[in-house]
Amino acid sequence: MVAMNLLDPLPIGTSGHCAPTRVLFGPIETNLGRRRSFTEAHTAFYLRRARGGAGILVTEEASVHPSDWPYERSPLASSAGPGWSAIAGAIDRLGRGTVVLAALGHAGGQGTSHWSQREMWAPSPVPEVASREVPKVMERHDIDAVVNGFATAASSAVASGMHGVEINAGQFSMVRQFLSGLTNLRDDAYGQDRILFAREVLQAVRSAVPHCIVALRLSTDELAPWAGIVPEAGAAIALALAPLVDMITVVRGSIFSTWATQPDGHTEPGFGIEAARVVRTTLRGAGVAIPVFAQGSIVDVDQAGWVLSSGAADGVEMTRAQLADAELVNKLRLNQSARIRPCLLCNQTCKVRDNRSPVITCVVDPATGHELDDQLPPPEPSGTRASSTVTIVGGGVAGMEAARIAALQGFQVTLAEASDSLGGAAAVAARGSGRDRLATIVAWLKAEIAHLGVEVQLNRVLTETSLAHLKGQVIIATGATIGTLPFPVDDSARLLHAIDVLRLDPPGSGIPEGPIAVWDPIGGPVAISVAELLAQAGRAVTLITPDLLVGEKLSLTGDLAPAQPRLHGLGVTLVKRALVRAVHHGTVEIEDRFSGEPSVIDATVFVACGHRLPSLSLDPDETFPQIGDRVAPRTIHESILEARRAAFAL
Amino acid sequence: MGRYRYLFTPLRLGPITVRNRIVFSAHLTNYAEDGLPTDQHAAYYEARAAGGAGLIITEEHSTHPTDWPYEKLIHGFHREVIPGYKRITEAVHRHGTPIFAQINHNGGQASSMYSRLPVWAPSPVADPLFREVPKAVNVREIAEIVAGYGLVARHCAEGGFDGVELQCSHSSIVRGFLSGATNTRKDRYGGSLEHRARILLEIVDTVREALGPTLALGVRLCGDELIEGGTTIDEAVAVAKMVEATGKVDYINTSIGVATATLFMIEASMHIPPGYALFIPNAIRREVDIPVIGVGRFKDPIQAERALADGHCDLVGAVRAQIADPDFVRKAASGEHDNTRLCLSCNQECVGRMGLNRWLGCIENPRTGREAREPVSVTEKPRKIMVVGAGPAGLQAAIASASRGHQVVVYERGDVAGGQVRWAASVANRAEFGDMIRNQLNELERLQVKIAYGHEVTIDHVHEQKPDSVVVATGAMPTRPYWAPPDEPRIVDVIDILSGTTKPGPGTRVVIVDELGFHQATSVAELLADRGCDVEILTPGMVVGQDLGITLDMEGFCTRAAAKGIRLTPDSVVMGWNRETSTLNVLHHVSGHMKDSQADLVVLAVPGTPLTALYLELKRDGVDVHRIGDALAPRRAHSAVIDGDRVGSLL
Repeated sequence: MVAMNLLDPLPIGTSGHCAPTRVLFGPIETNLGRRRSFTEAHTAFYLRRARGGAGILVTEEASVHPSDWPYERSPLASSAGPGWSAIAGAIDRLGRGTVVLAALGHAGGQGTSHWSQREMWAPSPVPEVASREVPKVMERHDIDAVVNGFATAASSAVASGMHGVEINAGQFSMVRQFLSGLTNLRDDAYGQDRILFAREVLQAVRSAVPHCIVALRLSTDELAPWAGIVPEAGAAIALALAPLVDMITVVRGSIFSTWATQPDGHTEPGFGIEAARVVRTTLRGAGVAIPVFAQGSIVDVDQAGWVLSSGAADGVEMTRAQLADAELVNKLRLNQSARIRPCLLCNQTCKVRDNRSPVITCVVDPATGHELDDQLPPPEPSGTRASSTVTIVGGGVAGMEAARIAALQGFQVTLAEASDSLGGAAAVAARGSGRDRLATIVAWLKAEIAHLGVEVQLNRVLTETSLAHLKGQVIIATGATIGTLPFPVDDSARLLHAIDVLRLDPPGSGIPEGPIAVWDPIGGPVAISVAELLAQAGRAVTLITPDLLVGEKLSLTGDLAPAQPRLHGLGVTLVKRALVRAVHHGTVEIEDRFSGEPSVIDATVFVACGHRLPSLSLDPDETFPQIGDRVAPRTIHESILEARRAAFAL
Repeated sequence: MGRYRYLFTPLRLGPITVRNRIVFSAHLTNYAEDGLPTDQHAAYYEARAAGGAGLIITEEHSTHPTDWPYEKLIHGFHREVIPGYKRITEAVHRHGTPIFAQINHNGGQASSMYSRLPVWAPSPVADPLFREVPKAVNVREIAEIVAGYGLVARHCAEGGFDGVELQCSHSSIVRGFLSGATNTRKDRYGGSLEHRARILLEIVDTVREALGPTLALGVRLCGDELIEGGTTIDEAVAVAKMVEATGKVDYINTSIGVATATLFMIEASMHIPPGYALFIPNAIRREVDIPVIGVGRFKDPIQAERALADGHCDLVGAVRAQIADPDFVRKAASGEHDNTRLCLSCNQECVGRMGLNRWLGCIENPRTGREAREPVSVTEKPRKIMVVGAGPAGLQAAIASASRGHQVVVYERGDVAGGQVRWAASVANRAEFGDMIRNQLNELERLQVKIAYGHEVTIDHVHEQKPDSVVVATGAMPTRPYWAPPDEPRIVDVIDILSGTTKPGPGTRVVIVDELGFHQATSVAELLADRGCDVEILTPGMVVGQDLGITLDMEGFCTRAAAKGIRLTPDSVVMGWNRETSTLNVLHHVSGHMKDSQADLVVLAVPGTPLTALYLELKRDGVDVHRIGDALAPRRAHSAVIDGDRVGSLL
């Protein structure tokens, strides 16, 4: 197995540190903090990944100076000492040799004044792209203060027991802003030599913690070739800074592409591998031997193994993969890589830089981020309660997860599915454009319940009577059905729901000729994926939304900005701020939300992508525990969460 | 109190008597931590009690764990809230002011993000904002909801509150049941109005039982949801009569709109006339005998008096007025009208912060939201302070340092104070923004701070004056982007339009290039459209006037822009200007297409450039100098005020 090379140890630096495996868990934002400090929840979150076999853990970035407060619960280095001690202590006591580094940074002009109530600091007065807030141009003493802040923070991290630090010159980073022509327009020494600030920071850190690991996270591609860092220049920067650091993790993204650093499944996994290879080749060509780590939606151990075997990098960052399955490395070690719970690259709950400060979690493992609250399923069946039987009604994600957890608890489990296949709404949603990875959780659950001996009964339709006669305990996970429409649809009109379009084989095929109107009252991924699918099939598509922009709810996943050029590229016509008033044969009546102006869209087919409704046909009185879309149609996350709760309560 | 016949008369609300008719009614603050009330809550409410409010009604306390729509919600269903309740009620009672707790379950107007539980609602109708399908509650769950209200009412009684208000109005499961738009049930909780009101009456019974006879109980109802198929005034009046008929409720409070659909009418900005919602209490008061509270942008005690005199209501809710000036009522009573810091209804730092999960503040009152902190003390060593620039930053620095006891003079190059604020306030329906400067100037007059107009401060002048410290608040000047030739008269700044330097006539084709995303471009667009120009707003953003959503001005702007024929062009970046053809070269960055846009006049709404020359010279010469406001980084008015306050307080 090629991926076994991920289990090779990796020496880092000159002070005898050695990562036990080559899998890195990166400095992801968690919102697990309390005010600006780390908490016990952080410790539990990292410890679980260390137990699972991560070689290097980089803790959530701490701001090195009070002028930086980029999100409400962003750690501040001067308040982080006790938290770092707790994390490093717990991981050291585990005794697996896991290397634990403190990420340090300053968001510069990519922060906000919201929490600090102070001006932002940046090399030049380039507004923050989303908020348009203009930062203060740093004066000399500000630069010195931040450089000292990095050194002081590094000393504090190491004094707290961390094995070293990782300096952020990647996304949301003042160091990168100094390196880049997009954001450094200075005419002083720091503008003439854009590497100067990074060099000063790293020199100060190196002197502060001479015997510890100093890692660098570096964006070598700002995806803005007109003035930003391009890969070759990024490699040159890496080479220039290499003497000051012990390892480099190569990332991408700039002020104009904050989404691109941790993109969702629309971006090909492993997009950063070649950028890492450029850096590693440049360093090796110059005789520099420090390890290079590749980053970029690497969620599959085989791809990660190939990164090493093909010489692109010496290690691999697999952050989201270890949110989805904290035991990723252990499973690889046990030769069970097929049993690693897959990351869906959905970004629905792990991208938490949001005003609402959501706690990080994972759609397929809701215990992620809730390590102190949630019961964790045992890895293998514990005990045996073979005499106790459980019937799960409904073979969607909720039902399959409930079956899995019940089986792990030793119950004898039957999963009754009315249709001829498992997977429910998730399997259908996965047929939308760019959403194919959703199918991986369906496949994983299928394999797991097969492994656990769950009896799957397809085409088994239960009635009230047969339900009442079931032996043992029952959980209802019968999912959802189509929703109602808040406008009249003529009988002669051709109405389809998103699920109808996605179920066609291939999806979207065989729809009557003519233009198609796709109605999206949610602003979510389903309608976008349906519109793309139909447009890819060469259909003329009009996407109708009541909102001022298309795909409003995609902002959390990072797909809001990328979705726009995709839709334009496919020629989808966007009709914003529109209320649908009626659907007729061949036309759709709409009305502008603000002017009240009516208009008519030609469409032979109308595809409704609105909310679904719970399927109430079975057990309407809710006598049995109900989970997932049967309770209220939502996402995979709620289905798995409720499935676990119900199954643990058996 | 001579000018007020009604405002300062007492009134009984059941067992409780209020000393005047001004209510600090319920509103979110985001002051809670870990679901508990904080010392900041106590200090915040106490300041309004000390300032003379007749009645305080706290922000909502949640009645059930399924209700957690925003992070900093008080979880009233946990007993742990009671010590915090006691701190609040003791602080407010020190001033003889009664205080009620608002209790609520937001129902379907929520998401499961924080609660990790299904959202509960009467029917599976997704909320227009949260867009999550709720679970339709069954009768067991309805009983649990009702019991939750009883539990929280008992906590409130134990915590020392004088009464409880049920929020059934703009974000509430009770509203959800009352409204035909969200209640599609077929059982005895849906259908006829009597059925839809059943849960409310059950809650009233339960809460009254929990409170006993000595505490007040109020019900807040929505008079018009302003949504299709929603509650309108006739049904609201009918429900009010049902509520009164229970004999268990002491007053009716009112509101308008649905928080997750028509919030722009609940907390209306300065574009909506004061008193706009008075038809609701008026209609209800005609049909019920218990006192009725009216609300709706009351920012002046005379407006409140008038609403009482006209018989619209028995009490007036004035929230933002008391956010801006906690002593609003006391100053009205003592006739200190000019001393009142008038609310601007700008919504920038009060309403605008709530959806951003930040603590409630005020654009012009740096103390709001910080009441629990020690106030700044008077200095023992008065120093000589020069403030350069009489915009909002400089004026606030002068207020703060003069309040500390320093000797302060403000120098202003022009002949009036206000900086960019006066331009912002010069357009139709934005005039109230100018009250910020009026308020600052009044305060400086009380503090006897002199403002020297027409005085350009030079370094020599500073060395002559020998101040102990200089505060540089010189602002910013308009910037021209790289593509705008400096000598091109057809490209101007928004300030050139607002100041009248450039006066395009009717029919002029104007393209406004907006990189600020706030009122600058949209105000000027409306102004020019009103003058008969043909106006287009171009922005690189995804939405024109993006931040108008935060201040609840988006709905009104979009409606007016449509009526005025203003074209809104998002996703567009200007790449060049062709002098010969008078066209802008515009990149549609989503598609990569270039297009030419004809313009007789281009108006820029772009970030300014800080004026730093004096600051840098003084610094070089070793003078104790501080830089604030746009001179530090061009931002919005609130940044100027808090910079000024911070630096002025530290001197």
